[in-house]
Amino acid sequence: MEDDGKPLLDPVRAEESYIEADQNGFDSLDPKSRRPFYVEPRNIVDKDTQERVSAEASVMNSRMQYYSRLTGSSDRLLIPPDHVIPAPDEIYVYSPLGTAFKIQGNADGSGKNPSIITIFAIWNTMMGTSILSIPWGIKQAGFTFGVIIVILMGILTLYCCLRVLKSRAAIPFIDTSSWEFPDVCKYYFGSFGQWSSLAFSMVSLVGAMIVYWVLMSNFLFNTGKFIYNFVHHVNVTDTDVGTNGTDRVICPFPSKEHHANHSADEYMTYGNNTEDVFDQWWHKTKTVPLYLIILLLPLLNFKSASFFARFTFLGTVSVAYLIILVTLKAARLGFHLEFHWFHSTDFFVPEFRSLFPQFTGVLTLAFFIHNCVITLLKNNKNQENNVRDLSVAYLLVGLTYLYVGILIFAVFPSPPLSKDCIEPNFLDNFPSSDILVFIARACLLFQMSTVYPLLGYLVRVQLMGQIFGKPYPSVFHVMTLNLIIVGAGVLMARFYPNIGSIIRYSGATCGLAYVFVFPSVIHMISLHRSGQLRWPSAVFHSFLIVLGIANLIGQFLM
Amino acid sequence: MTSTAMKKKVLLMGKSGSGKTSMRSIIFANYIARDTRRLGATIDVEHSHVRFLGNLVLNLWDCGGQDTFMENYFTSQRDNIFRNVEVLIYVFDVESRELEKDMHYYQSCLEAILQNSPDAKVFCLVHKMDLVQEDQRDLIFKEREDDLKRLSRPLECTCFRTSIWDETLYKAWSSIVYQLIPNVQQLETNLRNFAQIIEADEVLLFERATFLVISHYQCKEQRDAHRFEKISNIIKQFKLSCSKLAASFQSMEVRNSNFAAFIDVFTSNTYVMVIMSDPSIPSAATLINIRNARKHFEKLERVDGPKHSLHMRMR
Repeated sequence: MEDDGKPLLDPVRAEESYIEADQNGFDSLDPKSRRPFYVEPRNIVDKDTQERVSAEASVMNSRMQYYSRLTGSSDRLLIPPDHVIPAPDEIYVYSPLGTAFKIQGNADGSGKNPSIITIFAIWNTMMGTSILSIPWGIKQAGFTFGVIIVILMGILTLYCCLRVLKSRAAIPFIDTSSWEFPDVCKYYFGSFGQWSSLAFSMVSLVGAMIVYWVLMSNFLFNTGKFIYNFVHHVNVTDTDVGTNGTDRVICPFPSKEHHANHSADEYMTYGNNTEDVFDQWWHKTKTVPLYLIILLLPLLNFKSASFFARFTFLGTVSVAYLIILVTLKAARLGFHLEFHWFHSTDFFVPEFRSLFPQFTGVLTLAFFIHNCVITLLKNNKNQENNVRDLSVAYLLVGLTYLYVGILIFAVFPSPPLSKDCIEPNFLDNFPSSDILVFIARACLLFQMSTVYPLLGYLVRVQLMGQIFGKPYPSVFHVMTLNLIIVGAGVLMARFYPNIGSIIRYSGATCGLAYVFVFPSVIHMISLHRSGQLRWPSAVFHSFLIVLGIANLIGQFLM
Repeated sequence: MTSTAMKKKVLLMGKSGSGKTSMRSIIFANYIARDTRRLGATIDVEHSHVRFLGNLVLNLWDCGGQDTFMENYFTSQRDNIFRNVEVLIYVFDVESRELEKDMHYYQSCLEAILQNSPDAKVFCLVHKMDLVQEDQRDLIFKEREDDLKRLSRPLECTCFRTSIWDETLYKAWSSIVYQLIPNVQQLETNLRNFAQIIEADEVLLFERATFLVISHYQCKEQRDAHRFEKISNIIKQFKLSCSKLAASFQSMEVRNSNFAAFIDVFTSNTYVMVIMSDPSIPSAATLINIRNARKHFEKLERVDGPKHSLHMRMR
């Protein structure tokens, strides 16, 4: 064996030994590092007064020390299994300086976030760019109906999210602790489940990336325009229809018969009013999307996304700033609300509109977190509070959306402008010379350029991992994938930059699978397998599936 | 007659993978070389030179569940295997999903024992109990024990639940060894007298090969209930180190201001450990006492009849 020269009983400190935590990364190849020992009680540093090592831990230490002599150092025959190792609070980590410390919390790092952090993480993850489309969605559905839909969709998606969360626990006999929802789908539906969940996940991710490209082109354009005008002191006489005064609100596409889908021509004519060289080279749909390629395509090729994951705090800052911006605008513009229940007028829209499926589509993506909720809640310290924490997070998200949506809708200056003018990206309703909105656009631009590579990384890991078995098969494969995604983004930004439509179609599609169908079907199957499926439950969950399908069909019809 | 045929055996049997090799390694401080593990069934009869309780030889056999080659070999060698058996220790894996099969093989071993060594003692170990939830262990063990006792009739079997990750393995083997010593009550009485005469705090008697505690006497309550196993582990580690140097462990003295402990060879099959809490008594005095007692105890061992003597030598 390795250290025959070392005396078995150290004559100086015959009673010193240490117990080591295998789980927290001390798995070095050095066999000496795996020897347990325990420390004299006076050397144990802890917040409480001295505690002795328990008798069980002490004899286990003796056993492990002896057993480790019986096998080769790389032989795993007599390695203690996890369930016999003492609880983490009985394990001490020995420091070479002669003191020992107790391990705080769970050794492998999971389950140590207090509830408030978990709630915040969920809120942060769910708050995407769909917040920019909420006022437009409320406009499409009607004010009262819109508010009702937000509440109903929130509750519905929350219930389906809870189903996703609990789907893993219902699987008997298998250790599902490292599973995510696609693994559960694979368990229940075989390879069909695996591939379909991958396909729908791709829809949501690639859809989000396209939306990001469109928005980033928009923000880059406006930011560039603002800076150019500021630097050259150009006083822009805005030819857009809008209010007068310091807090100008514009209506980029005024038309009596205002449809949700702007035709491509309208976008194309935007900005073509002057012969300015700058405007030719800095065009919202023709040139700026291409300039973005230079910035973002290299970022997509990074092998690891951990660098970008550090910037998640920017998302919080942006949303917080948006809320402040909305509040300020509301204070300055004042409320303009009139309630016309079922028919539209020149300036207002009815309270209940038949275009509401568009809003439900947007909200499906706005409340979407089902593909990663299991991972997010895994780190919750008190797992029994998972349901409560998820519900609180959903409540906060719903309130944030309602706040922004209601305020923007309510303060949109309706006497000169029609409520119909509210754009799918509500920042478009403010001119590029508005400084507050400029800051918002710049912040969002920066934030989105850090999230975009993360989304690309997720797409790559999931798609490549599933098809080729490893996330980075070769530079060629990854480059091809990135070019396809970027190309789709550029094309959309060029020809169809209506983020409202992109969000609602991708939301309804991936929501169909991840929100409505898979959780309900899996729940029904697991109940059926354990013989507990009752009629009311089956009817209710089938109704959810019907709702999901109707949601998707509604996008195409309305 | 070959000498192998005449030596009394301890058979350690059980299904492949039930934990016998690990168990033997731990109890007898055998180094498990990697290649003897998992390369198929254990054909171990030629390798076990482990002497146990004097003249018993430990044989390890995988029983049941392998390919037909092993089955045939086992069946053809059956009489050879089961002749001259002093003890049968059968290991059951508590996790096994083939209970019927396990019981079937166990019964066929019992039949062979009845035919060839009807006086053998039978012990059943329900092993790997750490894999059962703590609150269910007693229940599951009771169930198995009832089944095994029923199946073993007319033979009497003693059942233990064991796991290498708690004290149950050591205690089970200590009980087995205790039952194998013929005059153990007499040994205990003498040990108590000895301890009281030399004013020792505690005196332990260990089996030589395994350092399992055969008997002990203590004059006051000791704090650590696991001290026997710990001492056994420490000595066995020391023996492992000694054997690397082709040295053999004979005796040890540990002394500090609070106590003095002496571990020494006692009889041909036992070691003794004496704890004195009065450090003023010189070592030499205690060692003389131990040496004198040794002669007395060796006589005790020779007293009993030839069949059960620990001291028996067969040529």
